[in-house]
Amino acid sequence: MQKSNEASPAGSRGIFDCRVLSITHFSNQIYSLRLSCPDIAQKAEPGQFVNLKVNQDLFPILRRPFSISQVNQSDGWIEVVWKIVGVGTELMSRLRTGQVVSVLGPLGNGFTIDPDAENAVLVAGGLGVAPFPYLFERLVAMHRRVRVFLGARTGSELVLTQGFSRGNADVELATEDGSVGFRGLVTGPLVTFLDKTEHLDSVQLFACGPTPFLNAMCEIAKKYQVKCQISLETTMACGFGICVGCPVRTADNGKRFMLTCVDGPVFEAGKVALHG
Amino acid sequence: MVDLSAKIGDLVLQNPVMVASGTFGYASESADLFDLNQLGGIVTKSISLNPRAGNPPPRIFEVAAGMLNSIGLANVGVEAFIAEKLPFLRSLQTRIIVNIAGGTAEEFVRVVEHLEDESGIAAYELNYSCPNVREGGLEFSQDPSVTQKVTAQVRRVTGRPVIAKLTPNVTRVSTIARAARDGGADAVSLINTLVGLAIDTETRRPRIYAGKAGYSGPAIKPVALAKVFEVAQEVDIPIIGIGGIFSSNDALEFLIAGASVIQIGTANFVDPTTGIRVIKGIERYCAEHELPACAELVGSLRPWCDNDTSS
Repeated sequence: MQKSNEASPAGSRGIFDCRVLSITHFSNQIYSLRLSCPDIAQKAEPGQFVNLKVNQDLFPILRRPFSISQVNQSDGWIEVVWKIVGVGTELMSRLRTGQVVSVLGPLGNGFTIDPDAENAVLVAGGLGVAPFPYLFERLVAMHRRVRVFLGARTGSELVLTQGFSRGNADVELATEDGSVGFRGLVTGPLVTFLDKTEHLDSVQLFACGPTPFLNAMCEIAKKYQVKCQISLETTMACGFGICVGCPVRTADNGKRFMLTCVDGPVFEAGKVALHG
Repeated sequence: MVDLSAKIGDLVLQNPVMVASGTFGYASESADLFDLNQLGGIVTKSISLNPRAGNPPPRIFEVAAGMLNSIGLANVGVEAFIAEKLPFLRSLQTRIIVNIAGGTAEEFVRVVEHLEDESGIAAYELNYSCPNVREGGLEFSQDPSVTQKVTAQVRRVTGRPVIAKLTPNVTRVSTIARAARDGGADAVSLINTLVGLAIDTETRRPRIYAGKAGYSGPAIKPVALAKVFEVAQEVDIPIIGIGGIFSSNDALEFLIAGASVIQIGTANFVDPTTGIRVIKGIERYCAEHELPACAELVGSLRPWCDNDTSS
């Protein structure tokens, strides 16, 4: 791996030419990519993202942002996961081992782990699971009790579940069609868990997924008075604040905006107003 | 050694490569990615009199060989710009051009008046693609008499170079460039974005909240080159060329068409160090073609002729 711009000062984020170490096809057009990127592996915090450009062509021309899913500092790699939704992600699915990808990162603000929250609860809707394997590792290393709720429409879309096998964590699965685990939305088993938990002040929720799911999570956090961090996904161009293209409404009056890329992508639940 | 310096009136730049307004924030965002002082100049986001929150999402959408945007001139306003953004910009060795947005001629003048006593500003670039609130939202540079009047009003309150940034969404951009010159502009920069629209056929909504949006990127380069060439032929005023520049070869085309200086826009979103690559490429080209100064390229387009036997 090589830093593509020699003028960059060392020791910060940067733009790196990174080699593809492996690409994994899960199912239902869901893939993951392992990239050799020691600089980003050293610096990345759980919840941060990278902005990737995999082609030299004029279309698609913009980078595509992805949560950093997993990191291995000693081997110097990072992983991202995606589902094909358009030309950019389709192009990514055709990457092969050894190809070079331009990686800008690490970007954004990651999760803030509350020092008093002994019980961490990770809740993912669909590919919202993306940033959680790395967060899970960090929480386990901090000796937190971790509980994981993973939901998807159907069993084949439940991916990365093996990423939560360490440290005897409780993992609960939910699918809308009932093909795997609880039949229904993932918030169902979460609410059941919260109902029987006595010390809610020791709980911190971490949520990532589609906007309706995040809105439901914000409602739950408010109802149960639980700390909750949410990670947002929006369209982006630059990923570091110069295009101003990824606004998210603030919760105070909805008239002001923050930027998902530099003020997030992780926000405290209740600080932003989500629509759609 | 190739002389890369460029001039716009009294404004001398170390090289002809700037970063365009609205595509480089307030510059500090990219400070850890490369040495900003290598750029010929930095044009700030459009600064208005009062802070502007900007448009609701979606603000951007990718289209063929480019993107649409309608940000809504989100910016901190001139007072916060002076207090929070200018100190960093002032600390740089490159030229700082403050881009100004206004809804009325008076707003342009008042923003300039706020900035006049501040050091570290090399020039003003007036964003004439702003909707004129008194003219039913017509852009300032869609009417030559308005362009001339606003430029003249700004000219009266500053001794700094004034650059008029023009919209391409007119019948003849050279008419507007002439009006800017007659109003006292030292240079014109063109083109701002082309008006575009993309539609989500499932929802039948525009892809951008505001509906119509600005089209930028490689797709618009031929349009931009033609507009630059037109103004270079018709109006005796220095030109800053903008529109889809992603490589040094793109930049060279603009210089040859008649631009003294170029600005990198959308390319910064893909690679904020594009300007550095472009500077190096221009230098390499000049060395290879034994040009002692890149300024010799400006307006050097050679016409085809029937009995031309040279290559």
